[in-house]
This record gives sequence, structure tokens and C-alpha cells, in this order.
Amino acid sequence: MTKRNLKEEIKEKLADPILRNNLSRFAQQYPAARMKAYGNIGGDAEIDALRDDLRQMKRETVAHIEEVADEFQASLEKRGVKVFRAKDGDHLKQQLLQICKENGVKRIVKSKSMATEEIRLNDFLVKEGLHVKETDLGEWMLSVAGQHPSHMVMPAIHLNRKQCAKFFSDELKENIPSDIPFMVQTARRVLREEFLHADMGISGANFGIAENGMIGLVTNEGNARIVTTIPPIHVVIIGYEKLIPKTSDASKIMRLLPRNATGQRMVSYLTLVDGPTPIIREIDGKMVEDMKKVYVILLDNGRLEAAHDPKLNEVYQCVRCASCLNVCPIWTSVGGNVYGHIYSGGIGAILTGLLESSEAFSQFSDLCIGCRRCTTICPGKINIPDLIQELRNRRTEKVGLALPEKIMFQKVMTNRKLFHTLLRAASIGQKPVQSGRFIRNLPLFFAKMTEGRSLPAIAAKPLRDRTEELFKKNPKNPKMRVAFFSGCNIDFVFPDTGESVIKVLQDLGAEVVYPHDQSCCGKPVLGAGDVHTAKKIAIQNIKAFEKCNADYILAACPTCAETLMETYKEIFADDEKWLARSKAFGAKVREFTSFVAEEYKKQGRLVKVNGTSKVTYHDSCHMKRGLGIYKEPRALLEAAKGYEFVDMEGADKCCGMAGAFGMKYANISLRLLENKLNNIKATGAQTVAVACPACMMQIGGGLDKNLPNVKVKHVADILAENL
Amino acid sequence: MEKICHEWKDYIKDYISDKYWDSFKENALAVTVELKEIKSYEEALPIIEGLIKELDAQKLAAVGGDENSELQGLYEALKKNHTLYTDKFEIVKNGPTIDIGFSTAEFGVGETGSVCVDNYAYEARIVSMLPAMNIVFVDKKNMVKDMTEAFKILEKVLRRKDGLDAYTGFVTGPSRTSDIERVLTLGVHGPSRFVLFAVDK
Repeated sequence: MTKRNLKEEIKEKLADPILRNNLSRFAQQYPAARMKAYGNIGGDAEIDALRDDLRQMKRETVAHIEEVADEFQASLEKRGVKVFRAKDGDHLKQQLLQICKENGVKRIVKSKSMATEEIRLNDFLVKEGLHVKETDLGEWMLSVAGQHPSHMVMPAIHLNRKQCAKFFSDELKENIPSDIPFMVQTARRVLREEFLHADMGISGANFGIAENGMIGLVTNEGNARIVTTIPPIHVVIIGYEKLIPKTSDASKIMRLLPRNATGQRMVSYLTLVDGPTPIIREIDGKMVEDMKKVYVILLDNGRLEAAHDPKLNEVYQCVRCASCLNVCPIWTSVGGNVYGHIYSGGIGAILTGLLESSEAFSQFSDLCIGCRRCTTICPGKINIPDLIQELRNRRTEKVGLALPEKIMFQKVMTNRKLFHTLLRAASIGQKPVQSGRFIRNLPLFFAKMTEGRSLPAIAAKPLRDRTEELFKKNPKNPKMRVAFFSGCNIDFVFPDTGESVIKVLQDLGAEVVYPHDQSCCGKPVLGAGDVHTAKKIAIQNIKAFEKCNADYILAACPTCAETLMETYKEIFADDEKWLARSKAFGAKVREFTSFVAEEYKKQGRLVKVNGTSKVTYHDSCHMKRGLGIYKEPRALLEAAKGYEFVDMEGADKCCGMAGAFGMKYANISLRLLENKLNNIKATGAQTVAVACPACMMQIGGGLDKNLPNVKVKHVADILAENL
Repeated sequence: MEKICHEWKDYIKDYISDKYWDSFKENALAVTVELKEIKSYEEALPIIEGLIKELDAQKLAAVGGDENSELQGLYEALKKNHTLYTDKFEIVKNGPTIDIGFSTAEFGVGETGSVCVDNYAYEARIVSMLPAMNIVFVDKKNMVKDMTEAFKILEKVLRRKDGLDAYTGFVTGPSRTSDIERVLTLGVHGPSRFVLFAVDK
């Protein structure tokens, strides 16, 4: 496989003004369109119930996929349909070619099928001398242009009308003006001829029902109805993941799919085809009626292996609505063409990994920033970022890390003293950071921040060197004992925020302690898929905190909090001793703002005030969607003396930092930051509050360069000001 | 006309109610269904004459008259002044040049404004997909609540003893595309106009 220059591809996409305009408009309109479509279903709870139904039905199906497939095949054979099973693309192509030969097929019309694009069927058929036409307007334009779809539902979203008109003109050898209704009518005229003269229609399927062999085809254009009607032969190409047991199960898909995909309550045509039906045609000048020939090919190509994988079989819950792309901060910045050759976005990474190759996956797998927006709307409730992480872990397990990461993670990160010595060295010169091979790969703050953001400085005196002095102010008769897990950012970049945290906790009557053996939470290492090193780091942290016998372990970084609370348990799932210890440890962990909000509430301190200085709040992805915490920090800000709280547009959209991502893909990161800064500016706030030090670094760096009068503060800093 | 089932009425009777009409109407209108509420099939005649004139339609084709004598009466009335094919072979032979196709639907779905069509017959698909205008007749009383109920009905129809091959589905307004700049454009492959007569006898 040729190594892709992804950074160059991304640079090109970010510089495309048409793409930027199309995607930003769409990203802005989509959430409201979707919610409007759900308007007659209800609110989040009702939508959630439908998602649970779909998920449950798909979970049960994948658990018995072979039986379901056998039933589907038997139902079709009872109806006179010839059924094939194809183990991969090559196998399918040979089966299809044989069908074409047996029936003297020369001309083929196709309605949309992702599975056929996955195996590059059209190229093969054309090479074999067959005349093949896509009939979905977008797919047709792209096939004419030799391009790949950039979205599963809106394949040509990256193009504008002028580009489309050029493809029309080139294909039809006539001058087609860039008038949309005219182009659509032209496509109708040209493709109608294709339909009327086709010998075979090839369709995909949105679902296949085992109990009767019926397939469902979802289109707005109606091309699937004509493809399955006029040609005398119909070939269905369907992946195993599309199978469902009963007819009534189809409604579980259909109540969600159109709403999530295009913001429609229903598509124009849901076509249901079951077995051969009559066909009337003119043969030698006579009108005759006979039965259509129907073939069904069930495509495996990695699907059955995925079905038996206890973690990755979640992918069977995908109904190909592509709504995960519509809310993805990366996809809506760069479009779909920088992902796999057919499947894009987060779900595209997973499908590429399972259906194409782990290598193809690895070339763009880090384009998921783990913000989890997709998980809040996915109809099948797939944990997309978790599945991507699982595939990354397996890839790392198989091929290992690149050398710089290997040295960094395995030699430095597992040795806290060495790690922290390097951090201190950085604070003295701030220069060694920029040279040397592995130092560039140190987590976050060591990497070079580029234009558009200021470089965060490593503090001259880390928090760990200040605690002794700070703890002199611990209360004489403490109400509780709290151990502070600072994380690298608060320790070495924002120790002043660490001081604020300690001050707020002491004010609550807590005795604060700081175990010096604590290290990085391990998230950067986990992100790269190095579970082995992460375990060593986790053990070091658990041991350090077990010793201090605290009532609570407090983190003022949501990523650290989530890692300590949730991820440690997951990585020790197969290790009884450490599983128990990580559970006991995790049970004590609290996120700062939610902990303080609860205590303030008890003390009657959560009273709204109307100050004069406007403050807005940015939700960290891990905080809102990982920990489900978003009301508490707002309640604290509303009660903060001197401040007036205002919410910003898109408060929960990623700021672009996302750990190492912000460094590796600096230009995408900056695009996200730019959107964030615009939203901050629009509120007229003088302060933007955050509850995550990584977001604080990203937004702070951007403000410094672009909005120098606006300050970023951790919620802890704002609370400490008032003490 | 051949259908997957000639007794749809028996299968829908437990699911239909007048109370779903309002939501059906709202949803159908939202997806540019040209909805006409009439009390008898005769009432459709002047409206259809108006549409024929508007389109300057030369060739018409119709299915479903064999199951409904009043609808058949309407077709006969149209035949007096227009070329209207009802024979399946003639329909297919003239398929590509038909201007308006007439067909029927079994029931409507309140949640979405969709109608369920029994398209087992080839000619039923030709009249509803190839012409630029599709005029459909549905009994106004045959409205069900949502897609969940609609699929329960389909499940029963398809599970009946003699049930085997089928071609059915739901139509929700005209053929549409937004593939160029996400601009909604009607009539890309199927009809650009979808006229629905809801007959309340």
C-alpha cells in the first residue's frame, strides 16, 4: 500500500473555499433540521427509546447472524431467487460476471450501493466490457468525474453547481449551463434512456428481512424503484450487517434513518422488493409478460469476522445514515475525501479497518479526536470513538509504535522521575523542546505550537514544588481528606490553577494532600494504542494514591478524571488483582466542578448573582460527553460574584486541542479554534471559563493572538478570586 | 390488476382511525404532496381536467379501476375526451411517453404523510414512476398512526398463507434530489408532482 501524505491532502481540503462554504453551511443547519424531523416523536428521552430499540434489535441479530442469514437465503430460495454468498470482492465479481454471461447482459443500471463501491465493482465491470451506469444523481456525477463520494448520503456535497455543470458537459459533450433544475432535468432525460435499455439492474439494500427475503431500498430520487422494475434481471448486493429478522423490525430502522440522515420524517420512496415479480416487455414486436429473474449476493468481505468479535460487532448497529459525519468537527472541516476510499468519518475509519485493511485504517485513524459528539446522535448508539481506539490498540499491538513514540512512552513515561526531569529542563531553556528527536513527541506542551496560537510556557516552578507551602493553610479540623491528582498540565503549565483548586478545596474544609509519586494519567499513551505502557503508568498512580488514604481523589482535568475513573478499569478487565484495585481507586475520583457545585449547594452558596463582567463557558468534550458534566460549571459561574454568565453558540463543540491531535494536525485544530473564537467574540464576554487545562491551553493561545482583551480562566481560578 | 394482496382492508381495519388524518395532512403538505380532499370520485373529474389542461397532457394511463367501480367510472369519464390506457400491455408500450399516471394506495401514515402502495403489478410501477405527474387515490378513512403500525400491517399481509413474492413500499411526495449544492429539486427520476386525492365517502 502506498503511504499517503495525509497532511498534504488535508492542507488542500482546508484551502478549498467551495468545500469550506458547503460544509460550514451544512454543519450549521443540520442539527436543527434533524431535531425538527423528530418534532413529532418527542424530546431526547423519546428519541433515545427508539435508539435503544434499534440497538437491541441489531444486537440480537448479530448474535445469531448465521441463522439469520440462513433464514434469509431459505426465504429467497423458496421464492425462486438464486442466492450466492461471496467471501470477498473478487469472489463476488466472478459470481456476478457469471450471471451476466449466462444472461447475455451488456447494459447495467445501478442504484446506490456502498458495498459495491467498497469492492470497486464498477471498475471491474467496465474492464470486462460491460456498460455500467450509476443512477443516483450524485453518484452519477462523481462516476463521470472519476471522483469518490465524500459522504454516504450526500456523495457530492464537496462540489458546487459550476463543477457539476462541467462534469455534465464533459460527459454529454454539450454545453450544460450551471442551472440546477436544468441539470436535474438533463440527468432525467439521459438516465431515462439508460433505464429503458438496461439488461440488468443492480441494487444494494438498506435492510434484508430474514423471515421473507424482502429487501428495503431507501431513496429520494426513486432511481431504486426504476432499477428494480424495468430491467428483466435484478441483482441485489447486500452485506450481512443489513439483515434483520422480521418485517416489523424494519420500522425500527425507518423511524430513525431518514430523520438522522437528511432531517426528513420519511424519504420519498421506501421500496420493498421480495422475490421475482411480473415484468412486461416488448420482444420481437410483441408485448409479453413473464417473471423477472432475481439474484441475491450476500457479501462477507470481513463482515462475518466482525460479527464474531465481541467488541467490534457493534458496527452491525450502523444503518449508514452518516449522521456521525454531520456532527463530526473534523469531517465538517475537511470533508470526506481524506478518509478511506469509500467510507469516511469516524464510522468510515471503523468500516475501513474491518472491511478493507488495518493498514488503510491506520493511515487516517487519528482523524477522530474522541469528542464523542457522534455518540450522542448515532441511531444504533455505536461508541464510535471507542471502536476506533480498539482498532488502534490492535494495530499498535500488531505493528508496534513508531520509534520516537516508543522511546517516549516506554522509556520516559514509565519513569516518572526521568519524565519530570525532562519537563523541568524544558522550563529552564524552553529551547531543548524544539530540537532532539523524541522530545518533539513528548505529550502536548512539548510540541511546537504553530502560527495562530501562542506557545504555552512551562512554569518556572511546578505545582509539586509549591504544595508544601500551600498545605500550611490546610484547615485545623478538616471535614474531609482530599488527594489532588493534578495531571501534567496543571502541574507543569498551569500551577497557578492548581493553587486555585487547592484554595477552593481548603475553603470547603478539606485537608488537601498531593502524592508526589503521581505521574501522567496515561491518556496520551492510551490514545496511541500502547495499552501495555498505560498499565504500568496506571499501577504507579494507583499505588501513589492508595498510600494517602484520602476520602476523595480530585482531578481538575476532565480527561484525567475520565481516565482514572473509567479507563483504568477497562484496561485491567482481564487482571483480577488490578481490576479490584483500579475499581476502588476509581470510586474515589471526583471531577472538580461537579464536586464543588455539590458542596456549594449543600452550603447554600449556589445563588445566582448578576455581576457586571460577562463570562461565557466552553464545554470540554471529555467533560460534557465523557463525564456528562455541563450544568454544574454553569451553576458555579452563575453564582460567581462580579460575573454575569452568558452561554455561547456551539459551547460544546471541540476547541480543536484534543490531545496530540492539536499538534499533529495543527491546521485542522486551528480551523476549529477559529470557529470557537468567533463564538466567544459574539457573546461579548470578557472572560471565557473552562474546566479543562488542555482547552485552556488551546483557547488561551488563540485569544492571546486574536482577542487579547478576552481572558481564559479555569472555573477554579474564578472561584478562588472570590475567596 | 395483480396485487400482493386483495384484502388489505381486512389487515388495516384494526389500525385505522380518523384521528390520524390531521397529522397525515400536515406531514403530506410539508413534503409537497398536492392533497385534494373530495367526497366522491366524481368530484375529482374537474380537478383532473384542470391538471390535464395545465400540463397539456396528451397521454394518460391508469391502474386500479378493476377493484373500484367508482374509480373505474372516473377513468371511463376521462376516456371520453382523452387518450387513457388501462390495459397493462398498452400502458407498458406507451410507458415512456405517458404524461400523467393514475394509481391507488392502500393506506396513509400519519407520522410521515406517506402512502403505502401495493406495486406487485409491473404496470402499477410504470404509471407511478415514469410520468412527470402521478395522481393517486386513497380512502381518507384509511389512516394509521405511524411507521411502527404500518410495518405491523405489512408483516401480517406478508405472513398470510398465500403470501410469497411482493413489491410494495411507501411513497412520500414527489421524486426529489438535493445532490447539487443541497438545493431541493423535484422530479429527478420519478414524478415531479404527486397529487393525492383523499376520498371521504
